[in-house]
Amino acid sequence: MIWKAKPNLGPGEARTRQRQRRYLAYLAVGGVLGGITGFLTGYLDKGDGNLLAGDWDALALEPGLALFLAAMLLIGFLAVPLWGFAMVDELKREHSLVAYTGSSLAVLAAFPVWAVLHAGGFVPPPHAPGLWLVAFVAMIASYLVARWRL
Amino acid sequence: MKNRLKVLRAERDWSQAELAGRLDVSRQAVNAIETGKHDPSLPLAFRIARLFDMRIEDIFDDGELP
Repeated sequence: MIWKAKPNLGPGEARTRQRQRRYLAYLAVGGVLGGITGFLTGYLDKGDGNLLAGDWDALALEPGLALFLAAMLLIGFLAVPLWGFAMVDELKREHSLVAYTGSSLAVLAAFPVWAVLHAGGFVPPPHAPGLWLVAFVAMIASYLVARWRL
Repeated sequence: MKNRLKVLRAERDWSQAELAGRLDVSRQAVNAIETGKHDPSLPLAFRIARLFDMRIEDIFDDGELP
């Protein structure tokens, strides 16, 4: 048997399992919201743009759908993380703070560095999706460092 | 910061998950405290002390006391 249930859980273990189930539900809600948003954006896009490929200005959506997706994105990128912040304990909150700090510092540094490199003819001009990607990658990298090194 | 959490837990035959649930933190937090990777906040340190019916300084040692 892969998983064996413990018959006599102490009050602490039962509470820990409840916390783990809540955390999995949190991840599932985030995944479902992200999946719905990504699917609708890709399936109902009337233009040739892509949110991640750099030509996002060619993206064209129905106004109502755009408002719905904007609301979904606000929930996914703002409300759910803030809610999660209140749900986790102090260790995970510390890891998250390290991740958000790494992300913020990366963006603060990335734009001027990118602009200067562009001025020197090395790279194309800075663009929003690229800076968003820098923030996202830095957040994940910072979280992993905090998770395994701190 | 050194601490006696692992010993105190073992004396009561509690798993990390059991202690985590009683303190309302994650099992990872208990593990991080036991291994010295995370210093608990003052409120959590008080909860730990109350759970074991001890003083904070009897559980945690910052190496400053003679």
